[in-house]
Amino acid sequence: MATIRGEQGAVQFSASGGSNATVVGTRSWSLTTTKETLDTSKQGDTFRSFVGSMVSGSGTVELVYDPDATGQAAFLEDVITAADPADASFELFTTGTTTGSDSVVFTGIITDMEITSTVGELVVVSCSFVTSGTIAMNLQ
Amino acid sequence: MAAADLNAIRATIEGRLATELAGDPAIPVVFHNMAFEPTPNSSFVQCLVSFGANEYLSQGLTTNSQNRIIGIVTINIFSAKGVGPGANFVIGKRIRDLYNRVIVSGVFFDAATGPEALLSAAPEGYFQTQVRVTFESIEEL
Repeated sequence: MATIRGEQGAVQFSASGGSNATVVGTRSWSLTTTKETLDTSKQGDTFRSFVGSMVSGSGTVELVYDPDATGQAAFLEDVITAADPADASFELFTTGTTTGSDSVVFTGIITDMEITSTVGELVVVSCSFVTSGTIAMNLQ
Repeated sequence: MAAADLNAIRATIEGRLATELAGDPAIPVVFHNMAFEPTPNSSFVQCLVSFGANEYLSQGLTTNSQNRIIGIVTINIFSAKGVGPGANFVIGKRIRDLYNRVIVSGVFFDAATGPEALLSAAPEGYFQTQVRVTFESIEEL
């Protein structure tokens, strides 16, 4: 058994579906995956029953802003992509950066970007995304 | 990207002070772990740079990652005893202005504290004030 600390994580991204590259300066990421359910209860049943339906995901990535950091600009500015075809690819790593290992892979859309500048603090950026299509989990 | 060079950070801080105090009027300045024999009834400055707690800034372990290095510069200003604080504060202003909210060579200096008068000087026989400035530097691995 091995526990993992947050600083072992990483985010890789490609704005247009090419090879993913590490976004330097990520401070945290989160992903919430949700499966809808369909009610299959019938008349005469005592207990309600369900089947699983559509799966979707959404989450956030927080970064320490650095205009020169590799991959940051493309990541932050994806939010202004017009008529976004959801071709951006993401891989969120719990540890390391080995493709397909300890990660979650999906394509998606960055839906929100907030950059905050406060006296006495580092400038930070928070981006929200939604997944589009398959979410592949390699968390074993 | 490389691990932070602590001596480069120290040199940035100390060099800035040494250059300023070499100007007119020149004031002797002494740094950590240096022998110094002050002249009675004259002014001199002691500069002590210390590194403190560091913290993670970003993910990525030893590559593509950032740490925040935090430290403090403590500057003791000694001047003649029994003649009021004026001369001491003139030096204090020079030093305060040197670091106050300045960003130089990747070192971010915070708002300066002081000059703060100390009740008992060390070494004795002087009027002593202290200027303290916290600073931080971002280490990029």
